[in-house]
Amino acid sequence: MPMSEQTSLTRPPESEARAFLTAVLAIVWKDLHIEQHTRQTISVMVMFSVVTVVMFNFALEANLDAARNVATGLLWATILLAGTLGLNRSLAIERENQTVDALLMAPIHRNAIYIGKVISITLFTLALEAILVLLFIVFFDKPLWRPVVLLVLVLGTIGYVAAGVIVTSMTIQTRSREVLLPVLLLPLSLPLVLPAATAVAAYMFPQLPDWGEVQSAVYIVIIYDLLMLTAGFLTYHFVVES
Amino acid sequence: MIHIHGLVKQYGMNLVLRGVDLEVAEGEFVTLVGSNGAGKSTLMRIVATLLQPSSGYVQIGGWQLPQYAAKVRRHIGFVSHQSLLYGDLTAAENLDFFARLYRLDNATERVMAALKKVGLFARQRDPVSTFSRGMVQRLTIARATLHEPDVLLLDEPYTGLDQDASLLLDNLLRQEHENGRTILMITHDLTHGLNLCDRTVILNGGKIVHEISSREATAAEFLNLYTYYTRNQREKQHANE
Amino acid sequence: MLPSARLDKSVRIFNWAAAISIFIALLVIFFYAPVEKTMGNVQRIFYFHVGSAWVGAVAFFVALAAGVLYLRQNSRKWDTLALASVEIGLVFLTMATVAGSVWGKPAWNTWWLWSPRLTLITVAWLTYAAYFMLRGAIEDEERRGRFAAVYVIVAFVTIIMAYLSIRILRDIHPVVVGGTMETAQGASEGLQEFSGLDSAKMGITLMASTTAFSVLYVAWLLNRIRLQQLSDAVKDLKIQVTAHLQGEHA
Repeated sequence: MPMSEQTSLTRPPESEARAFLTAVLAIVWKDLHIEQHTRQTISVMVMFSVVTVVMFNFALEANLDAARNVATGLLWATILLAGTLGLNRSLAIERENQTVDALLMAPIHRNAIYIGKVISITLFTLALEAILVLLFIVFFDKPLWRPVVLLVLVLGTIGYVAAGVIVTSMTIQTRSREVLLPVLLLPLSLPLVLPAATAVAAYMFPQLPDWGEVQSAVYIVIIYDLLMLTAGFLTYHFVVES
Repeated sequence: MIHIHGLVKQYGMNLVLRGVDLEVAEGEFVTLVGSNGAGKSTLMRIVATLLQPSSGYVQIGGWQLPQYAAKVRRHIGFVSHQSLLYGDLTAAENLDFFARLYRLDNATERVMAALKKVGLFARQRDPVSTFSRGMVQRLTIARATLHEPDVLLLDEPYTGLDQDASLLLDNLLRQEHENGRTILMITHDLTHGLNLCDRTVILNGGKIVHEISSREATAAEFLNLYTYYTRNQREKQHANE
Repeated sequence: MLPSARLDKSVRIFNWAAAISIFIALLVIFFYAPVEKTMGNVQRIFYFHVGSAWVGAVAFFVALAAGVLYLRQNSRKWDTLALASVEIGLVFLTMATVAGSVWGKPAWNTWWLWSPRLTLITVAWLTYAAYFMLRGAIEDEERRGRFAAVYVIVAFVTIIMAYLSIRILRDIHPVVVGGTMETAQGASEGLQEFSGLDSAKMGITLMASTTAFSVLYVAWLLNRIRLQQLSDAVKDLKIQVTAHLQGEHA
C-alpha cells in the first residue's frame, strides 16, 4: 500500500522554497525562545568578552596608546573566541536530549537545519558585538559606529558562523569536543578576519578613508562568506547523518 | 506496512545486523526483544531513517529506504529513551516547534489536544527540565504522535519509568494501537509491554531467531523461550568476562 | 588488504624517477640558469621555493578531490589518498616556507614578515595541520573518513582565499604567476626587489624544478599510500587474531 507524500493533516503542498523557509524560521524561532528562557548563550559570551578586554587592558595598562592601536585586532580576537563558546553551547543543546535526531527525522531539508543554526548563532554573536562595540567606544574611544564598520562586522560574523556550524557539528561528535573546536575553527576563519580587521582599522581615524582603499577587503570578506556557505550547503548532511 | 529484507549493518569488522527479515502488517503491534548488543537499536535507527544499512533494505508504506527517506519521514513517529525534547522550552513550545516542522494545520488546537491526551495540559507553561521522568515520557509520546503518523517506533520506552508511569505508558500505547497505528517496539525488558502487542520477535546476535504470537504463549512460557534462544549470547558474554 | 603488485611496481619506478629528476633539476638550477642581476646567486633558491609551493597547492587540491570522491563513493581508498596528500602537501608547504625564509634574509633583511601572504600561508599550514587533530579525535573509521573529507573540502577555502588575497591586497611578496599589474605597481613603488623572470633560461629552469618536485610528489604519494595500506592490513589482522583467540577461549 503506497502512502501519499502528504497526509490529510498537512497544509496543501507549497513550493519547496516556502517549505524550506518555514523550517528555517521554525528553527530560529526555537533557538530564540530557548535563549529567551535561559539567556545562557549571550550572557556567557558577553562575560567572557568583558573579561578578555579587561585582561588586555591590564596587560597594556602602562600604555593606553598601545591599547588603542591594537583595539580593532582585539575586537576581532574577542569575537572569534567568544564565538566558539556560542557555537559549542548552541549545538550542544541539540545533543542534550538527542533532539538532533528529531530534527533529522522531521520532513525538512537538512540544509534548513544548517541555515537555521547559522542564522540563530549569527544573531547571538551580533548581539554580543553590539555590546562589544559600545564597550570599545567607551574604553578605547574608537569610532566603531560608522556604517561600513558595522557592515564589515555583520559580513564577517556570517562567514565565521557559516564555517563554525560545520566544524562544531563535527567536533561535538568527537571525544575532545570543546577542546578541538578552536584548533580547527580559528585557522579556518583567519583568512576572513585578516581583511575584515584591515577594513575596520582603516575607519579608526578621524577622517574617513576612500571607499576605494577598503572595497577590496570588503569583497574578500563577501567571497569568503559565499564560499563557506556553499561548502556548508554541500557538506552539512554528511556531518549530521550516520 | 513495514517490510524489512536482508538487513545487514557492519561497523568496520563488526557485523551488528546479519540479515534481518521482518514484516509488520498495517495496524499490527510488534515487539522486538533481545539482550544488550543484539543489534536492536541499530535496527531501529535504520527503520527510523537515521542510519543507512550496509546492505538489504527497508520499505515503509511501499517507499524504500534510504532512497525515499524524505517521503517516509512524515509518516513516522519515534519515541526513544532519549526524550528528543528541549529541556529549556515549555511543554507547549516543544510541541509548537514540532507542529511547525511538520507544517501541521490548526497547530494550536492540535497541540492543546495532544497535551490533554497525555494529561499535561495544566503544566503546558512549565519548562520540560522541571518534569519528572514519567511526564517527560508522556510528552515524548505526544510529540511523536502529534502529526498522526501511520507508524510509531518505540526504542526502550520503559527505561527509567516507575510502576505508575509504566502503567500510564501502557494505556497510551494501548490507545495508539486501538487507533490503528502500526507499532514497532524494541525492549530488553520482558516485564513490560509484551501483553499489549500482537507478536513478539526475538533478536539475537544480529539475527531474528524466533517469532511468537502473543496469544500462543503465556509470560512464563515466553521467558523460557527467550532464555533458550539467547543462551549462546550469554555464554559468550560470560566467557569474555 | 595488502598493497597490490602494481602499486609495489609503481613505487619502485617513481622512487627512481624522483631521484633522477631531482638530480637533473639540481644540475639545471646550478649550472644552466643564469645569475640574476639584483639578487645574484641567492635567487637560485627561488626555483626550490616556487617548485615546492606549487606542488603544495596541487597536493591540497588532490586532497580536496579525494574528499569529494570519498563522500560520493564512501570507499576507503579515497580517504587514504586524501590523508597521504595532505601529509605530503604540508611537507612541501614547509619546504617552500623554509626556502622562502632563506631567500627573505638577504632580500628583506629578515627571516620573516607578517605580510598578508606570509600570514595566510601560515594560516593554511595550521588549517591542514589541524586535519590530523580531527582525525585523531575520531575512533570510528567510517565517521573519521567522512568528517576528514568534509574538513579537507572546507579547508580548501583557505587556499582559495590565500590565492585571492595576495592578488587583491598589496603585499611585499613578489607575484610570479598572474600578477603582472600588481608586480609592476609594486616594483614602481619600490616594494619589490624582484620583477619577474629575466630570461627564457630562467623560465626553463623553473619548469624543470617544478616537474622534478611533481615527480617527487607522486613518488611520496605512492609510498605513503602503500604504507597506509600495510598499516590498515596489520590492524585488520590484529582484529581477526583477537576475534579468533576469543572464539577459541569461548
